[in-house]
Amino acid sequence: MLLFVFSSVLQPLLAKSGFPEFQPKQFITVLEEMSERYEVVFSYETKLLRDVKVEFQFVKGERLQSALGRLLKLTGFQHKAIGKKYFVIFRNDKKGSKNARKLERKIKQIQRLENKGAVRLQRSTVGPQQQFKKITEVIVDLETKARISGTVTSAEEGIPLIGVSILVKGTGTGTVTDLDGKYSLDLEDENAILQFSYTGYSPVEVAVNGQTEINVALETNVTSLDEVVVVGYGSQKKVNLTGAVAAMDGERLESRPIPNVGEGLQGVIANLNVNIRNGDPASSIDFNIRGFESINGGSPLVLVDGVPMDLNKLNPNDIANISVLKDASAAAVYGARAAFGVILVETKRGREGKMRLTFGAEFAASKPIMFIDPVTDPYAYVTARDLATYRTNGTGFDQDYLDGTRRYSENPTPENAWGVFNGSLRFYGYNNYQDQIITDFAPQTKYDLSISGATDKSSYYVSIGVLDKDGYLKNKEKNENFKRYNALIKGDVKITEWLKLDSRALVTTEQSDKPHFYNWDVNINTTARVNPLNPITFPDLEYYLTPGDRADYEQYIGMHFQSVNFLPYLEQGGRDTWTRNDIILTQGATLNPLPGLNVRAEFSANYTYRDLQQVRSRVDVIENQDLNALVIGNGFSATDYINNQANNNQYYVLNTYADYTIDRDNTHYFKVMVGFNQEWGKNQFIRSRAFGLITPAVTDLNATTGSQETYGGKSDVSLRGAFYRVNYIFKERYLLEANGRYDGTSRFPTDDRFGFFPSFSAAWRISQEGFMESTNGWLDNLKLRASYGTLGNQLLGSNYYPAIPTLGSATSPYMFTAGARSPYVSAAGLVSPTLTWESVTSQNLGLDFSVLNNKLDVAFDIYSRETKDMLTGVSYPSILGTAGPDANAADLKTTGWELAATWRERINKDWSYGITLAFSDSRSQITKYDNPTGSLDEYYVGQYIGDRWGYVTQGIFQTEEEVNAAASQSNIGANWRPGDIRYADLDGDGEITVGDNTLDNHGDLAIIANEAPRYNFGINTDLRYKNLSLNVFFQGLLKRQYWPPNGNWVAFYPFNAGHVENYYITDTWSEDNPNAYFPAPHISTNTKQNVQPQSRYVQNGAYIRLKNLTLSYSLPMDKLGKIGVSDVSFYLTGANLWEFTNMRKPLDPEVRPTLTQEYYKQRSYAFGLRVSI
Amino acid sequence: MKNYFIKTLLIAFVGLLSFSCNDDFLEKVPLDEISNSSFWNSENDLKVYNNSLYNLVRTDENVPIFMGHRDGFNSHRYGIWHMSGFSDNTAPRHSRHDRYQQVRAGKHFPPNGAAPYGYRGFNFLRAINVGMDNYDKAQISDEVRNKYVGEARLMRGWFYADKISKFGSAQWVDRELGTDDDEILNGSRDDRDLVMNNVLEDLNFATQHIPNDWGDGNAPGRINRWGALLIKSRVALFEGTWRKYHGLSGADQWLTEAANAALELMQDGPYSLYQSGDPTNAYNAIHRMTDLSGNPEVLYWRRYERGIFTNHVQSYHRAYNGGATKNMVEDYLCTDGKPITLSPLYKGDAVYKEIFENRDPRLRQTVLHPDDQAIYRYGNHDFDRYTYPRVQGMSGGLRVYTGYHIIKVYDVGAAHASYNSSTTPAITLRFAEALLNYAEAKAELGGGTISQEDLDISINLLRDRVGMPHLDANPEMDPRYANDGISAVLAEIRRERRVELFMEGFRYDDLRRWKQGKKLESKDYGMRWDEANRMAVDPDGQVTVQSGMVDGVEYLEIYKGTDYENPVFDESKHYLWPMPISVLSQNPNLKQNPGW
Repeated sequence: MLLFVFSSVLQPLLAKSGFPEFQPKQFITVLEEMSERYEVVFSYETKLLRDVKVEFQFVKGERLQSALGRLLKLTGFQHKAIGKKYFVIFRNDKKGSKNARKLERKIKQIQRLENKGAVRLQRSTVGPQQQFKKITEVIVDLETKARISGTVTSAEEGIPLIGVSILVKGTGTGTVTDLDGKYSLDLEDENAILQFSYTGYSPVEVAVNGQTEINVALETNVTSLDEVVVVGYGSQKKVNLTGAVAAMDGERLESRPIPNVGEGLQGVIANLNVNIRNGDPASSIDFNIRGFESINGGSPLVLVDGVPMDLNKLNPNDIANISVLKDASAAAVYGARAAFGVILVETKRGREGKMRLTFGAEFAASKPIMFIDPVTDPYAYVTARDLATYRTNGTGFDQDYLDGTRRYSENPTPENAWGVFNGSLRFYGYNNYQDQIITDFAPQTKYDLSISGATDKSSYYVSIGVLDKDGYLKNKEKNENFKRYNALIKGDVKITEWLKLDSRALVTTEQSDKPHFYNWDVNINTTARVNPLNPITFPDLEYYLTPGDRADYEQYIGMHFQSVNFLPYLEQGGRDTWTRNDIILTQGATLNPLPGLNVRAEFSANYTYRDLQQVRSRVDVIENQDLNALVIGNGFSATDYINNQANNNQYYVLNTYADYTIDRDNTHYFKVMVGFNQEWGKNQFIRSRAFGLITPAVTDLNATTGSQETYGGKSDVSLRGAFYRVNYIFKERYLLEANGRYDGTSRFPTDDRFGFFPSFSAAWRISQEGFMESTNGWLDNLKLRASYGTLGNQLLGSNYYPAIPTLGSATSPYMFTAGARSPYVSAAGLVSPTLTWESVTSQNLGLDFSVLNNKLDVAFDIYSRETKDMLTGVSYPSILGTAGPDANAADLKTTGWELAATWRERINKDWSYGITLAFSDSRSQITKYDNPTGSLDEYYVGQYIGDRWGYVTQGIFQTEEEVNAAASQSNIGANWRPGDIRYADLDGDGEITVGDNTLDNHGDLAIIANEAPRYNFGINTDLRYKNLSLNVFFQGLLKRQYWPPNGNWVAFYPFNAGHVENYYITDTWSEDNPNAYFPAPHISTNTKQNVQPQSRYVQNGAYIRLKNLTLSYSLPMDKLGKIGVSDVSFYLTGANLWEFTNMRKPLDPEVRPTLTQEYYKQRSYAFGLRVSI
Repeated sequence: MKNYFIKTLLIAFVGLLSFSCNDDFLEKVPLDEISNSSFWNSENDLKVYNNSLYNLVRTDENVPIFMGHRDGFNSHRYGIWHMSGFSDNTAPRHSRHDRYQQVRAGKHFPPNGAAPYGYRGFNFLRAINVGMDNYDKAQISDEVRNKYVGEARLMRGWFYADKISKFGSAQWVDRELGTDDDEILNGSRDDRDLVMNNVLEDLNFATQHIPNDWGDGNAPGRINRWGALLIKSRVALFEGTWRKYHGLSGADQWLTEAANAALELMQDGPYSLYQSGDPTNAYNAIHRMTDLSGNPEVLYWRRYERGIFTNHVQSYHRAYNGGATKNMVEDYLCTDGKPITLSPLYKGDAVYKEIFENRDPRLRQTVLHPDDQAIYRYGNHDFDRYTYPRVQGMSGGLRVYTGYHIIKVYDVGAAHASYNSSTTPAITLRFAEALLNYAEAKAELGGGTISQEDLDISINLLRDRVGMPHLDANPEMDPRYANDGISAVLAEIRRERRVELFMEGFRYDDLRRWKQGKKLESKDYGMRWDEANRMAVDPDGQVTVQSGMVDGVEYLEIYKGTDYENPVFDESKHYLWPMPISVLSQNPNLKQNPGW
């Protein structure tokens, strides 16, 4: 109202103040101007308005309603608003009203299409304004006569495409499709060729050849050259990339029963190697880019919306896209921490259009993959074990066991399972621990809810995710459980034309609840390998020693024996629980003060709190089997305590950067980016432990009576860097890029703190050259890339003060007097005062090409990476008395290549398929290392990472004569007999030795294996038929040698644990089985003479595993629209369903290096549902 | 205009943020640890620093000097009681004691990494030397300072003496090394004389400056000067006898040091043999106590306590020691002071219980007499249920391989305790050793003779405690030792040592310093296993230990059928341990020991 008054007052004022007189304008021109000004769309019959002129002036600040009212008043036309954006202008008569209703229908159709995702309009590079204008033009053309017509639809979904540009080749004439995807066109030449093009779709050319109707289905162009990829502090068109960057869409992670992002990334991007330690959802997942990093570790920098974060805490469904920066030039702007690549993750944001709500639910069940094949016949168990113990130390089971187990084996009745021998209770049956303890299926449920939307001024995205995963334990109440809650809240607001603010809150809460870890022997993962003859619970027998004595033993019935280890601790013992809260708050501002200039600043605070509680409460078990004197004790739980730890970490990130772009007629493109990054953080923890629980029921530090301990720790760290990037592109053909960063860290001494890390890259888009014109028909893109650059690597992990020597202080359990620990201060370790940056120089050569309308898209890179001045704890002779200080003392070179290829084809309207291949390899070699003696215990120059030294196995001794004739093996063990391993006397000195264990004299040692994984591949295929899609994903390695470690309890070598597997019997040497794989049965938990590192047991660790298989179905769109739902889809999916490997069981090719001792890998099956409104 | 102003302001602000380089921002120092320069001020600083040395000696397998028990699972592996597994005193046949069996049988070989009790513990040496480089900084009187310097030097001397005993020579280092100390890092070993002279200096300093009493109640407190004297006598006795029997010079000087140190302790020290007043338990009483604070015989011990530091040694030890050997049991004298070979009182071993008759009471306080089950509650709750001895393979009760159950260190309270919940202490240093060291050193100095007076103030005190007749300065030679090349009295002193110090970790080192390694070539036997005994002990034939013939009589032969059936002792190499291969490959100048 005020405005109206203002404008009416102002107008005459303006008129009098020397402004030009009002000139009559075309009504249509005014409408168009109004359309632009207010961002609305007017629909009308052009013919009707064409000749109308008005005298109209826009008034600053006037509202649309008012302006439109003024305008129409001048002409006598009516308007009707449809929603807020669309207006129909019509004459107020019968014909006019009819036309207006017709237009209204069309507009509502557009609105529906828009609401359904509005994708078609959004993807266009032309602004929405132009799009709308086209729609108005279409309406203009409604009455035009046509000689050729048809419908353009999307091949994928079959829906009409609006605004598809249709050009008569070689002429300037053409049209666009209307609201129904229809078009019609007057043609002068019957043999004309029509070019259909639409943003986001592959263009199509059709020869008319006299046809009067041409219907075209356009295919989406997934590998579109216009695809934009997120790079460090900005984004770039994929075609303009010069470094090694791979990108992936977040959709790849949806509809898969993965507990975390890491599992979803495995095998997807070439040379992004994901090392999943085991099936424990709470255990960490390592990422690696392009192979072995540095001998002291290293990992890619993972940034989620610009903030360092553990990727696995993120809800996979919140990810919009992921970019992997592989080489120095791509990663250069991250300098200090990017030596081993960068993984950039962008979370989703609201998209323009109607509010969108998506709900997903998924129910999964996982089953451990166990390759164990235990002997279940107790007599077979006893005899097999007997053979081994007799050979090992001349003793075995007593006759009663042999008799008892045989009796049970022949007639497995409950009476035969138990016996009393010399007053001791004995169990002759077989305990299948796996069956008793491990469930068939562990459930996992996932729920996601997200709400997003945007207007032209603001956008929002809110999501909540819940993951609830149970462990493998059969005991539901005591089962392990892991929960993760994710919340992501994002919003951005355009405050003015030149200022945009964006806020983000990312909250992750993780909770883990597991049985307390009492001891290695008391663990789910060892249960499968304990002696199955140990009784589990005290049996309920008619009588025990003498008839009628049952009453004396009643109190014990059902109690656990200590010997079964895990069960009593699970059922009565305490729990280890932790909660970790991760909160990341970000506020960013983007300024556009001048055209082409962007300035951005963002500040993030990351708060991590972790509360851990370990309760080692007492467990009552029967410690012996002597019926005359049963002892109830506490097994491994005699020293009971509660341990609480609270970690409180803070981390702050400030990024500011500005970029300026000059784009001159597609000839010179120039972009400069400069920025500044500063990060600082502080960690602290407090830990208290109190002994002697008053009762296991109250688990608090207060409720204890024993001694108490407290500990604490604090550390801080900071880094600061300035960086730049310059891009220059000439005629879309020659691309140059220079990056660099000047970085400083608090971890190094003042004088060695700063480092400068520059890099350069260039690319040549050969396909854009004039001489390549003849290939236009099939070659869409051909680009050659090269880069060279240096990055820095600062010290890793929690070593925050590597250059400052400090004395440790703690308390020792060494007691000078009763009841007290002794405080002590210990000597400072050695530090190197001149530590500085480890530098990583990388070179990359890449070739990208797309052919056949982008059906085939290939990227191939070869690279080398030299890690120089590696910060390494140099190994010194032991007389030094301490670990050598980290020093910049070693070099490493990694070479490798990677291939990413995608084939995507639509066969017809219903069928389409695609195959994506990621294939890579790398090898690393030590090029400098201070090991003058060439000791094999250290790295040495020329060593390939993964090399394992060991003996060469000549075979198994078959006869006494052979033993006597062979080289002496007394340096490995004593008492060699037929059935033992014969090692090869490589140096021919008549003795099996390791020589000096040096390169010059390694005796009979040889490199028996290289355990580095080689030729990683991932094959992802998807097949679509109408609303059905099938996705199949294989992942594996083509080459890996693996020597299974011989540590006790590691399942591989026979009799290396308490159980017996069938292959212990069939595959061990005896005179009747001279060609067995394993030597004669021998208890190898102590004497390792037959299981020394050796060539015979090197496994072929190559494998292929069906990582994922998903079948999904979306309900047909036309039925959904009516109930206001835009998408409903169901999916069935399975993970790790199948594998092929030549590795011997029970080894799992992916679980390394501690084998089945850890949490088993799992096969998962899931059903999921997604609904979008 | 206004917009332009705001824009300019914002750009300036961002620019300011970008270029305000404040050096303090990157200057970080540790927040939870002390720097070297802010420490070393007070007596208390020195004291808590030295506490870190005690913390390190807790790990016996790395620093085998203040021997005690290891905690938890390692209780079965390392600690003072297990040391006898290297010798012919016990027969630890369990496969987990492979390492002991290998060394005992001469079947060990150069390890890749350093073996337990072997070429380890240099972090401990460094910690001492770091202290030595810094103790002077404290503004305290020399008298106070030297208490701690003495403590550190005692540990250094003892540490080196142990290394020399195992490896013959070592690199002497008495300051903190840096990575640029090439002459040492790549240097060769210093010869025995140099190292041992330095050891003596360290021990002398310690025995002069460590206080007689720290005022901490010996519970166990810090090691005092008397403990240092005992250590010195032990080290010097080893060195003196080693030199004498392995053909090196200077034996007498060391033997004199040994005798003098022991004598000073015996004459001036507050310690004495613990007297229970009852000869039938006087000997093993202190080994079965849980609190040794202020015990007159115990110079140093290791304390264990629930919630702080516990062990599982009782339970493991009884399962892993295998029992005393026939050879050990036969070494006990008869009550007339004569060996079984000479005494008419010896009843032979045909009847198990008769082995104990007319024998040194210490035998019955070391090996279980079947009638003493109730006294020791051997087997805990079911002590009255089973008959003993019980041999491996039989069921129920406690079983050993040899048939000779060790009860010297049997504590009924801890023997069946739940995992790692025992507080069984370890006696690290006791007065009886001083008496033995003194007598032996004197006898060696006397060329195999010793005065009756010296025997009376040493060996005969031990005899008195258990009611055994005194050792005469000219005893009759036990025929079994006639070929050892030593006098009869020296043989008796050695026997006394073996008997008195059984299970306290001496035998293997003693055999090596006496150059009696060949004694380890004899097989380990257990009890007589003739028809009569077999029928009495194992009528059902359950025993799984095999037997062998000794002079026409059948005995349990512990290692028969195992990899260690035929022990060897190559005198050209087995007196010293092999250097680890990884150590040599890093510094070849250290050189392997002869024969390996």
